[in-house]
Amino acid sequence: MDIELDKELRFHIEAQVADKIRSGVPENEARRLARLEFGGIDQIKEGCRHSRGTVWLESLLQDVGYGLRQLRKSPGFTLTAVLTLAMGIGANAAIFTLVNAVLLRDLPVVDPKSLVRLGNWADCCQNSGPKQDGNYSMFSTETYEQLKRNTPEFEELAAMQAGFENRPVVVRRDGGQEAAMPRMGEFVSGNYFGMFGLQPAKGRLISASDDLASAPLVAVMSYPTWKNVYGGDDSVVGSTFWMNTKPATIVGVAPEGFYGDRMSNTPPDFYLPIATVPNEMGGKGFRDSSQNWLDIIGRVKPGVAPLPLQEKLSAELKRIYAKDPHFSAADIAKAHVVLAAGGAGTQSMQDSYASNLKLLMWIATLVLMIACANITNLLMVRGMQRKTEMSVRTALGAMRTRIVRQLLTESLLLAAIGGVTALAASYGGARMLLMLTFPGDQHLPISARPSFEVLGFAICVAIATGVTFGVAPALIAAKASPAEALRSGTRTTVGGASLVQRGLVVFQAALSVVLLVGAGLFSQSLSKLQHTDMKLESQNRYIVHINAQAAGYKDDQVDALYRTLEERFHAIPGVVNVGVSTFTPMEGNDDGYGVHLIGQPDIHIEATNIIVNPEYFDSVGTSVLMGRGITSHDTATSPHVAVVNQDFVHALFKPGENPISRSFVAGGDSPKPYAIVGVVAGTSYTNVRRNGKRPMYFGPLTQPSEVGYAGAIVVQTSHPMGDMEEITRRTLMGINSNLAIQKFETFEAQIAGRFTHERMLSTLMLLFGGLALLLATLGLYGVTAYSVVRRTSEIGIRMALGANRNFVVAMILRSAILQTLSGLAIGVPVAFYGATLVRSQLYGLTSVSGSALWAAVGMLLAAACVAGAIPALRAASVDPVRALRIE
Amino acid sequence: MKEDDKFDLPQGTLDLLIMRVVSLGPIHGYAIAQRIQQMSREALQVQQGSLYPALHRLEYKKLLIAKWQATETGREAKFYELTARGRAFLKDETEKWKRLTDVVGLILKGTLEGVS
Repeated sequence: MDIELDKELRFHIEAQVADKIRSGVPENEARRLARLEFGGIDQIKEGCRHSRGTVWLESLLQDVGYGLRQLRKSPGFTLTAVLTLAMGIGANAAIFTLVNAVLLRDLPVVDPKSLVRLGNWADCCQNSGPKQDGNYSMFSTETYEQLKRNTPEFEELAAMQAGFENRPVVVRRDGGQEAAMPRMGEFVSGNYFGMFGLQPAKGRLISASDDLASAPLVAVMSYPTWKNVYGGDDSVVGSTFWMNTKPATIVGVAPEGFYGDRMSNTPPDFYLPIATVPNEMGGKGFRDSSQNWLDIIGRVKPGVAPLPLQEKLSAELKRIYAKDPHFSAADIAKAHVVLAAGGAGTQSMQDSYASNLKLLMWIATLVLMIACANITNLLMVRGMQRKTEMSVRTALGAMRTRIVRQLLTESLLLAAIGGVTALAASYGGARMLLMLTFPGDQHLPISARPSFEVLGFAICVAIATGVTFGVAPALIAAKASPAEALRSGTRTTVGGASLVQRGLVVFQAALSVVLLVGAGLFSQSLSKLQHTDMKLESQNRYIVHINAQAAGYKDDQVDALYRTLEERFHAIPGVVNVGVSTFTPMEGNDDGYGVHLIGQPDIHIEATNIIVNPEYFDSVGTSVLMGRGITSHDTATSPHVAVVNQDFVHALFKPGENPISRSFVAGGDSPKPYAIVGVVAGTSYTNVRRNGKRPMYFGPLTQPSEVGYAGAIVVQTSHPMGDMEEITRRTLMGINSNLAIQKFETFEAQIAGRFTHERMLSTLMLLFGGLALLLATLGLYGVTAYSVVRRTSEIGIRMALGANRNFVVAMILRSAILQTLSGLAIGVPVAFYGATLVRSQLYGLTSVSGSALWAAVGMLLAAACVAGAIPALRAASVDPVRALRIE
Repeated sequence: MKEDDKFDLPQGTLDLLIMRVVSLGPIHGYAIAQRIQQMSREALQVQQGSLYPALHRLEYKKLLIAKWQATETGREAKFYELTARGRAFLKDETEKWKRLTDVVGLILKGTLEGVS
């Protein structure tokens, strides 16, 4: 279109020239005259465009083109602005992706809003007896059956295994060549899939008729397992799989996208009916009618009010516990259940990550605010720098609206580029967060891909930033009266950076000192956690987890298995001690029981029970403080004994009282009371935060106890052995080909695994703190550099009048440092306040520690010096003669 | 030619003049300007600054249609022609113009008594 117009006009001129030559004018003169007569080609073109009505589109393209050229012309500014936006928005979008996935997402089931969960906290794995606060979240099979019978308010009430993460099944396909593999199996009630309203992807799902003790063992496979492990093979349905050595028929595949009833990093591979647990899986505890091991979720009928239902369920629970001899009248009176929304499932992950994610949201918001302050500053500086340019354009006849539109286009372009970059950053960021949060995990049903919400969020923030921060400079530029602006263009001694700009820098400094103090606190907390005295020895120790039940061992066979394990592992050269126990220090498991001293009133102390072999205490490095440990003389026929830890002594005995030879009983249906024969150090189990507060008692493997089979082997060697895992595999295969390694880790790795959470928080805080510091430094640098440019002639005059370089450097630095100090004055009290908000997430710190504070202040001041020094030195190198001549 | 013999064209009449010239056959912009100048006996000189925007405006309104053709000298030029719509429009407007000039002439004819 433009080319054609050009051609048309050129033809006109040529024709004119030709005419003139024909009438005798020399060619050069003819050309000159023709061009003179023709007038301004551009005005004509503009007129043509106007008459075609395409002017808005063309001027938009022009604006965009001009905007891009402007951005390209100042790559430093563009890069800084785009990166600032990308980091600010990207960090937010990444965290929003996670929050959306972990906290806000409902299960992919029919009408999740009508689902209700019985219980509002994540109780795990297996326990019995009264709860101190009377709030129950986990129930026994019998309680579930009774609740289901007596609550017509539910369309369906389904039960599922709580904390199945720790109890995998060993699976081998019939006729297949592959070895038995540990996989995640979750036990669910027969109406589980029906309650969620799910349809099978293949075959059928578990139904009520499968959930009977007399029914043949069946299982439903999860969709990802079917696709990824068995390649979507149709013949899987109807085939036999050996699960914990028992044949089970796979009747169907669960729907795609269904990841079980909770967000977890170990989603179930198989769903098995509850009724088959006691008969086929040999779980001691599951047979016990007092053992709580089930979460319950129900779908309420329309119109059922939640509060009366909660009352009714609590009353039902009281009635059930009234028959249990372990419950006192007070326990029964306290017993109640709180109903929670069940749409997101059983929510153990949501519970444990909610506070962290909320904290991260706050931090990301702070970073976004800093980023926005930076962008405002950058654009304002730019707007002022271009005041002269705008004046020239106005003077040459550009319309104000056009100039404003041009500037807005530029900011929007910048925002758009920033927004797109931010999306990429958010994807990378979300992946990094996922990796930090759930290291080495591919099974998590959370994707780092930004959802539509995140896309919308990023676009909105980008546009809002663009418009908001584009308007101010545009208006400043439009207001400029060209004559005045041109006159005073560069000759100015007042001003420098405006109050708003300085305010923004102070604000940034304040926010970043808050984040830096936070980062310092979380790092300190992590280091304190990791350096807590756990009262154990981790060097040259390997922890092996097996599942004897899964390998088909019965009650009367496990003692022999334990002895074989000890013998075979001792036979490996280099092995010093072989511990066998139900679980080991610093792993996730914890089975607690109510204990009380015989002859004393029950004061409701819950204690963890572990059964161990004689070498166990040495193998994990727990020292015996009083009496003796477990020995080979403790057998099935010798007196029933226990070794207790220090915390147990503190909880149940008066100071100075001798616990040795005293007796206690523990929850469940313990056949004999325990006689205490020794006291060991309070080695940390599950969590160092519970150090000194977790009573434990250790019984011999050979004697009856509350817990199931021992599943942990601790192998202590004289030197590091890199091939220990392979040796272990061979050793176990030599004992029984069904004994698969469930998990193999060095003791150190197992301990480090308990700090993943804290490490993630501390790393993220450091990242965000660093980001904030970087942005604040950039902001300060920008403002200082800008004021140096504005004051070039002033500096020139000062130097001409005798000011030396040091004076100039000090003058510029002073203002940079002053702004930082103002930021500190605001930020430090805020940091102290912030620390009180996150106190519960810190270990061993109750307030801002001096070192964290000084580190943050020091870093900020150092950054401020760098940000101030560069422009200050540049100012000092101003040559007065040139500075004055510049105009 | 004396300066006094030249006019400024009343608003809207340029379009009409252009269309009249174009109605004689396909013609390019330069020739249109020349033709108007000749037909007005050099009294009207069309500025390019108004000619081309007017041509484009008429083309945009679909009163004219343009195509690229070779001139007698062999150069490519943009030739304008009337469309059917343009023809009807020209007829209409020419009649209106004539009526207007008749009416205005009726009032303005005779000597200007009391003015000179």
